[in-house]
Amino acid sequence: MNGITKAAGISLAAVFMACSAGAASAAGTTVCYAFQDLSTGFWVAGHSAIVDTLKAGGVEVVELNGGHDANRQLEQVKDCIAQGGNGIILTADDGDSGTVVVAAAQEADVPIATFNRPPSDMSKGIIVVADNEAVARAAVDAMVAEAEKKFAATGKKLKPLILMGDLGDPNAVQRRAGFMNSVGAHPDLFEAPVEVATKWNSQVALAGLEAAMTADPSIDFIFTSSDFLFPTIQSVLEPIGKWKKAGEADHVILGGLDGDDGACKLIQDGYVDSTGVQDVYLEAELALTGIMDAIKAGDARPNAVKLDPGFALSQANYAEMGAKTWGCQVLAAK
Amino acid sequence: MSGAGLSIRGIGKSFFGVPVLTDVSLEIRPGRVLGLVGQNGAGKSTLMNIVGGNTAPDSGDMLLDDKAYGPANAREAERSGVAFIHQELNLFANLSIAENIFITAMPRGPAGLIDRNRLRRRATDLLREVDLDLSPDTLVEQLSPGERQLVEVSKALQLDARIVIFDEPTTSLTPRETSRLFALIDRLRSGGTAVVYISHILADIETLADDVAVLRDGKLVAAGPRPDFPASRMINLMLGRDIDQLYPPHRSAVRDEVLLEAEGLSLPGVVKGIDLSLRQGEILGLFGLMGSGRTELARLLFGLDRFHSGELVVQGERVTRMTPRRAIAARMAFITENRREEGLMMNVSIAENIALASLRALGNALGLLDKRAITASAATFASALQVRSGPIDTQPARSLSGGNQQKVVIAKWLMSGPSIFLLDEPTRGIDVAAKYEIYSIVKDLVAAGSGVIFISSEIEEVMAMADRILVMRQGEIASAFARERFSKASILRAAFGEKEAAA
Amino acid sequence: MSDTIPAPLLRRPRSSALPALLRRLLLDEYFVLYLTVAYFAVSAFFFPALLDPRNISNQLSNVWPLLAVAIGQTFVIIIAGIDLSLGATMGLASVAGAIVMTSAADKLLLGNSPVWGWLLSEQGGILADQPVAVAVGIAVILVTGGLVGLVNGVFIARFRLPPFMMTLVTLMLFSSAAIWITQSQNIVNLPDGFNRLGSGDLVSVYFGEKVTPEIKRRDILPFVTYPMLISLALAIAAHLLLSRTVFGRQVYAVGNNPKAAEISGVPVRRTIIMVFVIAGFCAAVAAILYSARLQGGRPTIGGGSALLDIIGATVIGGTSLAGGKGKIPWTFVGVLFFVLLSNTLNYMRLSAFHIDVVKGAIILAAALLDVLRVRLAAGDGR
Repeated sequence: MNGITKAAGISLAAVFMACSAGAASAAGTTVCYAFQDLSTGFWVAGHSAIVDTLKAGGVEVVELNGGHDANRQLEQVKDCIAQGGNGIILTADDGDSGTVVVAAAQEADVPIATFNRPPSDMSKGIIVVADNEAVARAAVDAMVAEAEKKFAATGKKLKPLILMGDLGDPNAVQRRAGFMNSVGAHPDLFEAPVEVATKWNSQVALAGLEAAMTADPSIDFIFTSSDFLFPTIQSVLEPIGKWKKAGEADHVILGGLDGDDGACKLIQDGYVDSTGVQDVYLEAELALTGIMDAIKAGDARPNAVKLDPGFALSQANYAEMGAKTWGCQVLAAK
Repeated sequence: MSGAGLSIRGIGKSFFGVPVLTDVSLEIRPGRVLGLVGQNGAGKSTLMNIVGGNTAPDSGDMLLDDKAYGPANAREAERSGVAFIHQELNLFANLSIAENIFITAMPRGPAGLIDRNRLRRRATDLLREVDLDLSPDTLVEQLSPGERQLVEVSKALQLDARIVIFDEPTTSLTPRETSRLFALIDRLRSGGTAVVYISHILADIETLADDVAVLRDGKLVAAGPRPDFPASRMINLMLGRDIDQLYPPHRSAVRDEVLLEAEGLSLPGVVKGIDLSLRQGEILGLFGLMGSGRTELARLLFGLDRFHSGELVVQGERVTRMTPRRAIAARMAFITENRREEGLMMNVSIAENIALASLRALGNALGLLDKRAITASAATFASALQVRSGPIDTQPARSLSGGNQQKVVIAKWLMSGPSIFLLDEPTRGIDVAAKYEIYSIVKDLVAAGSGVIFISSEIEEVMAMADRILVMRQGEIASAFARERFSKASILRAAFGEKEAAA
Repeated sequence: MSDTIPAPLLRRPRSSALPALLRRLLLDEYFVLYLTVAYFAVSAFFFPALLDPRNISNQLSNVWPLLAVAIGQTFVIIIAGIDLSLGATMGLASVAGAIVMTSAADKLLLGNSPVWGWLLSEQGGILADQPVAVAVGIAVILVTGGLVGLVNGVFIARFRLPPFMMTLVTLMLFSSAAIWITQSQNIVNLPDGFNRLGSGDLVSVYFGEKVTPEIKRRDILPFVTYPMLISLALAIAAHLLLSRTVFGRQVYAVGNNPKAAEISGVPVRRTIIMVFVIAGFCAAVAAILYSARLQGGRPTIGGGSALLDIIGATVIGGTSLAGGKGKIPWTFVGVLFFVLLSNTLNYMRLSAFHIDVVKGAIILAAALLDVLRVRLAAGDGR
């Protein structure tokens, strides 16, 4: 964990210093960062991005770990306000409690920005959130580039498939939209896509994908709405001889979304063509600059939605974008 | 005064503001056995706990071989050569004899590991010294109480103790084990060890001791060479008065009205076909061997267990399903044989213990209690029974002596105003004087018209107290004796059954 | 004997022991209060901002809901039990009440809920927008809490299940039930009248200068709030119940020696059941305060480390896990200590990785002091 912290810290401090070079000295400013347990690599990376960058900017950081207890988080944020915190960066336990915490901060005239997990009511506070549609579209666009090469070689339309998340989750809906928008822009290249529901459950995904591959063995273009399903895909493709590296015969063009360490490794190894990455470092920076600007301007209740368009990490741009992908940082630290 | 051995000089100690030792001075000499006697609560154990480093005195000091001696804990006392063999032995049943003997001083080999061979060899030597013919690898749980006692002694020998304290060592020993222990104490004495021997059994003191010291109410009332202390003098000194009898005189108070009647009471495997009746002013003795069903019968009568068949009539009312609450409502009281486990809330004040069985009656219509009134009411019962204690609203029951604890249990029941008393071994583990007080209380109860079922395994006690005796055997009432037909032999014969008694 | 009656109050100090004053302080039943005050004083020296009225007002608002549920735990621990299910009770009660009161629900999120269509619809719960919704909702929360307690109590008293096992089971059972009913979602859109219970201030104070033309909202400090009134009323009622009533004595008797209590006519089973019902009720009161504050029924309201705070505050206050000993004022002090501890840790500017380590160390130190007290007290017995 220490390794990641350091790696991310150094690179980000550099980014921040570059961006805000000459910005007003932040000495004497206190910003509270309220988050939930750092239980996955993504959150650890986000945590270090924010804390290290703030410290590098001379801002005093108060870390508040809510431990997945919405009430405790509310208490902690109120503490921060009582202690004269100048601004707050929040990763809420869930959207509803996020709304309450944002309201509590604005009520007390303290600017607040949310990082990555948006409140249900996005009209209040500086809301930094990944644009899931854009991230998905970027990832699928990179896959489409591969598809075009294949079509040029074979002259045969590709058969696409999407593993969808739980459509009760807005993220899943947007990711599906991104996929559809990208694939739909190339009717000459693709047949009608097959949609497989996963409900964010790998067992459901396994059953659905197996059925689909049996029904139509010609499927050669698979996008998963989350990287955690790559092992599931592998367990279906490998037995039928289709788990191949890019460039080998029978390779299925594969893409996902998250940019986690597993996906990064698979791209390194050549099995996966692309993954959509939430730019955690950009998000950290958006939240930070939003808060620091509001503090400087004396704006107690700044409201704005700031979208992270994300980017696609692919075989082609790995050398360049790997360093900006949080999952690759986690991988490097392992 | 000084010299070799241990000089105790002006020791004082109080618990909860009550002095348990006042200005006690005593000489413990090498090569002699000191018999220490006194009633429960006289301060014997506290004094020896101070010598053994378990308790620190409030005042006074001690000299060991002319050097100041004030152990901060038992280990320090051991290191100075003082070994304390407790009433409830401090052995680890799951470890071997050898491991127990050397528990604080395991012989180590290189690398700090226990040197098993040396451990076994040295333990064997020690066991030979105490004349215990057992392998040092035997687990303590397999030993009889007497053998455990001897293991404790070998532990003291291992420490090379110059002073060995025995606290009531023979209570659980067979006669043979006892004589073995006495022989060993003899050998310790001739080897120059100073021995302190605490016991209620005055005959043992007479056999063993060279000197006698008598404690009463925390004060040393007399000390000197044993020949100056015949048993009668020891008793009188312990009690602080002359007693000529162990029991109050018998005077029947039996009236006609029946308080409690059982007919064919049965619980399979426990008791069967019990018929009994208890009248006003009657003491009904219930005698039998351990496991004969005496306590179990009392539990049925009080509703702690449920009888399967039979009938119970209490104060003229038929009861088909008894519960403790119904029993209390029917003015019954149950003084159990086990004070600590079933009678008292040990960590709770005396006053609260006394109020426990009367809580509902003490509350007003809203269930509210007036603490001061409760304490005052409890105080009248405590003083009527002469409970010796500090402030009853703060002193916990655990700090009382056995006899006073028993009085608290009785006071608790008296407060609920009962007329039927079930007394199960009411004098177990309490000293002579306290026993006499309990007997007197029982006599007062029946004189006032209550009925008492008096359960005991001490035949003399039952015979002295009861108007009538029922003898139980294997869950049944084997026979009944009216007072004029009391005879030790026939009662025992009935309890054992003819065959065993003949054998 | 008359000549031996002592002047009892001042005992002579043990030669090798602590000074008498310190000893008496350690043995005082409000030792933890002194410890809390001392800790507060030392911390305030390093972090003067602790004394800021804003901070104090804020800390008090954190005290009340925790106090409510810790009161319930105090009852259970006095009878030598433990209730691990209080957090789950809070979650279930919170959800049950919210379902009744909510004025709108999202089908996309809650459509799979087992109560969708009959208790809950897009128009909210069955009492959506009714004037009685708040009162009924609160009643539903309290009754739910009481029922959970009843289940615990009946199984523990009648089938003699160890409280640890039984409440561990109900912890799993009821927290899953709450999550299942809500499909892991929160039930929002509660009536304003309910939400006001979470923070609504009746008396506020302002410490700034009078001439300031515009008072910043963060400078207006809630002083007397609904949670304060509710929790204090609960605490006073619980204290009277324990200290002044027959039932209270019976609770202590069961905790001290259930066998002796039964023989002495205490209705042991009924007392155990009542105690768990009270615990569930107290958890429900806390559920009201927490749900109102977060403006939603939340299945996870008592999750996370909340349970540790509930047990920790009770035990630090001095209520003995061995049973038979405990008081509501002690628990109040324990809760103050816990809240103060979190407060000061936030001031120490420690990284998140270190805060829990420090917190654990301080709780350990407090527990060790408690052991020392017990030892000292035992030295006074025979």
